[in-house]
Amino acid sequence: MNVNKKLSSFEMFSMTLILIGMKLSDTTPSLFAQKSQNALWYIPFLAFLIVLPSFFVIMYLLEKVQAKHLVNLFELLLGKLLGKGLAFFIFLLSFLMISLDSRNYVEQIKTLYFERSSSLIIFVLFCVVCVFGAIRGIEVIGYTSKVLIPFLTASLVLVIFLVYEHMIWERIYPIFGSGLQFVLKESLFKGSIFADFILLTMAYSSFKKPSDFKIGGLIALFIAVLEITFLFLIYATVFDYNSIEKVSFPFHEITQYVQLGDFFTNIETFFMVFWLLATFLRFILLLYLQTWLFGAIFNIDEFELLVLPLGFLSMVIGLIPDNSVVTELVYRNQLLDLLTPVLIVLPFLLLAIYTLRRKQVT
Amino acid sequence: MAKFCWLVIGLMPILFGCEDMVELEKQSYVVAVGIDKTDQDGTYQFTYQIANPEAGSSLAANNADQAPSEIISIVGTDLMTTSSTANAFVTKQMVMDQTRVLIISEELARTDQFLRVIQSVARSNQIRRGVKLVISKENASQFMNNNDPALEQRPHKYYQYMLSRARETGLIPDADIHRFFQITEGDADLFLGIYATTIEDPKDVSGPEDTIVAGEIPKHGGNSTQFMGAAVFKEGIMIDVLTAEETRIANILDKTMKMDELLASYPDPVAPEYNVAVKYIQKNEPKIEINYDRVANHAAIQVIIPFEAEIIAIPSLINYSQVDSYKERLKKSIESYAEHVTRQFIKKTQEFYRAEPFYWSLYIRKFFKDIPDFEEADWNKQIYPNADITVYYQMKRMHFGKMLDDTHLNEVRD
Repeated sequence: MNVNKKLSSFEMFSMTLILIGMKLSDTTPSLFAQKSQNALWYIPFLAFLIVLPSFFVIMYLLEKVQAKHLVNLFELLLGKLLGKGLAFFIFLLSFLMISLDSRNYVEQIKTLYFERSSSLIIFVLFCVVCVFGAIRGIEVIGYTSKVLIPFLTASLVLVIFLVYEHMIWERIYPIFGSGLQFVLKESLFKGSIFADFILLTMAYSSFKKPSDFKIGGLIALFIAVLEITFLFLIYATVFDYNSIEKVSFPFHEITQYVQLGDFFTNIETFFMVFWLLATFLRFILLLYLQTWLFGAIFNIDEFELLVLPLGFLSMVIGLIPDNSVVTELVYRNQLLDLLTPVLIVLPFLLLAIYTLRRKQVT
Repeated sequence: MAKFCWLVIGLMPILFGCEDMVELEKQSYVVAVGIDKTDQDGTYQFTYQIANPEAGSSLAANNADQAPSEIISIVGTDLMTTSSTANAFVTKQMVMDQTRVLIISEELARTDQFLRVIQSVARSNQIRRGVKLVISKENASQFMNNNDPALEQRPHKYYQYMLSRARETGLIPDADIHRFFQITEGDADLFLGIYATTIEDPKDVSGPEDTIVAGEIPKHGGNSTQFMGAAVFKEGIMIDVLTAEETRIANILDKTMKMDELLASYPDPVAPEYNVAVKYIQKNEPKIEINYDRVANHAAIQVIIPFEAEIIAIPSLINYSQVDSYKERLKKSIESYAEHVTRQFIKKTQEFYRAEPFYWSLYIRKFFKDIPDFEEADWNKQIYPNADITVYYQMKRMHFGKMLDDTHLNEVRD
């Protein structure tokens, strides 16, 4: 395949959109709905506003310090040992997150489409595909994202178009859902659903220009947030506040519910293809970035060789929880709550250190 | 050779996908499911109508005498385990992906057992949310066995077309499982299920033809199955049956029900012994304005229903289209007749059901800041039964079809 060695801003845009935007189709909405009921739809937006400054700070620092990637940034600012330690801490958290996330997706595939296959086999196949994809490197991933994004967007637009007639706008009231304090608390602690974006900074040096990373990433983030907010709004208006708590996969419930005229009635498999492609791409990207992070921490240049063991390890961790309800409501929820303060505070800490150091130098 | 071996081994995992493979030939497609009460709580009789995919298809023209479907009944605790028990005498695996309707006997629907059995139906991921909910007057198994359409024999198409057409005319409500759970779990409104029967019990109809429910239509010929009217569910238990006219009113007043036009007859104002046939066209949603008094927990509801009418038949042959005063009288008469029946129905819901089937809880929601607040005010029990409701119909336009004038009776008889 003829692939440009360096990534462009559109490839950054596609990768970010797939990485963040996929949140709309997993169990995140039902997780939000547990606490906030029908107010779930604007939580992603509030959460994004809370974490946005952190993203700006990270990008600003990357540019000023002229770091190659995230670990490099930590090392330059905090010194070798502390920087690596911090990076390793982030690696552990996000690795756990991805393992649980992948289990979540495997459960979705299993309960919705492959009832009889065991989770193990689906997980193994899932990992094989991810490892196979991740080994090809960031250029191929970026290129594939770029090629797929129009199709994914088109299928999403079709879902929205078909479900539109089932929406009842009045269901967004009462506007504060289960109560303002719960909604605000939930927004404050769930900023970490955007945490995957921090991992993308590992690829900072593989872009043609640093501005490609910044422009593509930011535009994609905004669009992803709008997309997530709008889809969550659809979930809140199609399912009422009492039902949304009980539905574990609202996106798939919707694709099962809609029909294309009288003739095409059971059309969810059509959407499943695009959804599955996006899922694979997302985990390929995540696995690759994880491995890169790991390689950078331990100074392993040929980190692509680590994709296989790390993929295997994440599968083993993902298999530990008993069932998807536990994974979703207990582990993932706690992990998200834990990750958010780190995500919010850390960049500002780094910024403080950066300004102090600069003063010392001058 | 070694390369070839690796290729074979490498391609092996692709076969994992076959674990869930089921041949089309090895599946029985259940099109309709019926649930009946038995003597024992927690045990139900399930009836499955299994479609025969070969009947009615153009490919199988030479074996035209195949039955389009098979109906079996079996006693059990829930839908899925019973369907596997049924494999003792059904040759293939029963799948419910293609199920179109769920038929519940009225007897079961009137008990609290109904919610228990339908919960288990919703949990299974084979039954879709779009499955329609039909309440049959007799036992569901009897209903399904009696149902014998002559023209549309393929059962899945029969149910699909039958229900969608009856919906369009407003004779039945839009009732799928999705809506049932929305409303029952929301616990603020009444749910309307489709009412149907195969037992004919014709009723003498004097006046407009739709003050009846399924089974009471005075008709000859055709399938004995009738879908008409609605079963009213309060908190998951059926409490009453609405006539076709009441169902239409509920459809008109509920903005979440998609209804375009319906044919109905209204009393002729000038010659009261006749009716005027009118096509009622609803282009815009009804305007429902609620003034809510928070302190007294009291609401005043104003309903304005804009509609258009097309006059289809004037058996009295009065010249409504050209005489303005007659036209005005007809307009007023239709409006006031519609207002009268609507007010009567609303009064019935307030006093008798003490809850509404129009999904109006949607409009009161914006007065509350959060759900605990909303639930405490209790729209269902406190606000609605005591609300002041005013209804106005507004005829925006009157069409007279393609004839300018009717035949002049006195000239013909001359």
